[in-house]
Amino acid sequence: MTYASSIKPDLRTKISVKNLQFFYGENLALKNVNMDLYTNKVTALIGPSGCGKSTLLRVLNRMYSLYPRQRAEGEILLDGENILDSKLDVNLLRARVGMVFQKPTPFPMSIYENIAFGIRLYEKLPKSEIDGRVETALKGAAIWGEVKDKLNASGLSLSGGQQQRLCIARTVAIQPEVILFDEPCSALDPISTAKVEELIDELKNNYTIAIVTHNMQQAARVSEYTAFMYLGELVEFGDTSHIFTSPDQPQTQNYITGRFG
Amino acid sequence: MRGMNIYNARRRSNTVSVVLYYSAAIFGIAWLVLILFALLREGFGSLSLAVFTQSTPPPGSAGGLLNAIVGSLIMTGLGVLIGAPIGLLAGTYLAEYGRGTPLASIVRFINDILLSAPSIVIGLFIYEIMVAPMGHFSGIAGAVALAVIVVPVVVRTTEDMLTLVPGALREAGSALGMPRALVINRIAYRAAKAGLITGMLLAVARISGETAPLLFTALNNQFFQANLNEPMPSLPVVIFQFALSPYKDWQKLAWAGALLITLAVLALSIMARVLGSRKATQ
Repeated sequence: MTYASSIKPDLRTKISVKNLQFFYGENLALKNVNMDLYTNKVTALIGPSGCGKSTLLRVLNRMYSLYPRQRAEGEILLDGENILDSKLDVNLLRARVGMVFQKPTPFPMSIYENIAFGIRLYEKLPKSEIDGRVETALKGAAIWGEVKDKLNASGLSLSGGQQQRLCIARTVAIQPEVILFDEPCSALDPISTAKVEELIDELKNNYTIAIVTHNMQQAARVSEYTAFMYLGELVEFGDTSHIFTSPDQPQTQNYITGRFG
Repeated sequence: MRGMNIYNARRRSNTVSVVLYYSAAIFGIAWLVLILFALLREGFGSLSLAVFTQSTPPPGSAGGLLNAIVGSLIMTGLGVLIGAPIGLLAGTYLAEYGRGTPLASIVRFINDILLSAPSIVIGLFIYEIMVAPMGHFSGIAGAVALAVIVVPVVVRTTEDMLTLVPGALREAGSALGMPRALVINRIAYRAAKAGLITGMLLAVARISGETAPLLFTALNNQFFQANLNEPMPSLPVVIFQFALSPYKDWQKLAWAGALLITLAVLALSIMARVLGSRKATQ
């Protein structure tokens, strides 16, 4: 494994993955992964199906610990604190590290409640303030204009692309520090995809972002850093422009030119 | 030609099969239609305002079913009130916390047995643990017997409906930092709401016609009785008693009662259907 040489010295590390091994039961799914996510940058995780990129993402907010047969070894430091520590409160972690899923998952409640629900989990605010936070979140997810007149309609009544932006708004509303995107556009049409990509570009001003994608153009468009994974290993990590123009590893070259995967 | 022989043989066996399917279906449905027809004719013929305003009469005098209707409503309502929460919680355990554990398999297996247990056995059981120690039949014992029938129905539907809630929705809840119980209470229940209510309606439909468990527990009462500590009349038991009697008036009231129960069950089933289809179109 090699690191591209062009990493700039002024970068601040938000999350540092050290010697991470991940197991599904007996199966080793991530082999000794080491990488950093930088504050206010977008990092793309690419690689063929089954390479472990989604698995890596689901370790970063301990999503895997919902399932009894999955476990991780190694260290993941979020601002220096090891989140794999068993004493850590995973719910507080997930409030700091939000996640947006492949398929839009609006809750079966109104658009307003979809956002307000998450806010009320952490803060006891008067209604007027919640209203303000809901509006800010919906604006932040570039969906306010489309829903402001029907905040009481069911979240399920929106189109797929709108639902996905609602989910992003819901994640943003609880003010996390990191947002993980797990193939957020794979169920969306090209126009909705473009909107979500624009959104990610804006969100990085306030958040640290990691995005798993199968779409290499998307990775090239939205990210500053790219990690290429293959068979559970991190093959190459570096500047997105470097990875897509002159990767160091032949496997990376083969993947981005479409020779496999 | 050999090929033609095989083809003709297939055609013949096809015709035979189709005839068998149709006749079996017609045979089954015909009885149902006959029963319903007799019930509607006799039932509507016996229905009058007095059925709803007067209590069950002594032989030979006029009366109604008011006491039995009220008794049935009380015991059915109380039975669901006791049984549904237990069933809901146990079903939630099976679908959420216990998924894949040995205890869940055991609970599920026992629940399936309970689901098909003859209701007279449940009546006897409640007789043993409530009626005998108390020394007398009572409405509360009837309600508890009905609750025991409600529990496995609600457990089953709750588990089925919660299992249908996509895992992605639960993960989305967890991703916001919600504890497990909150994900279940606020998201999974809400997503499965229509199905959960349907299950409870079906449970009501199931117990509203039960006779055997009530015979051993609430027994019957010729008079209006809202005291749960006293024997309580109910439609099924009154039908049982009156239909077997030699008195014309009583037999007519039994028909009227049977019609009322059937219409109530029909209404519950339609409500369950409507709720179920609304869920499907969501």
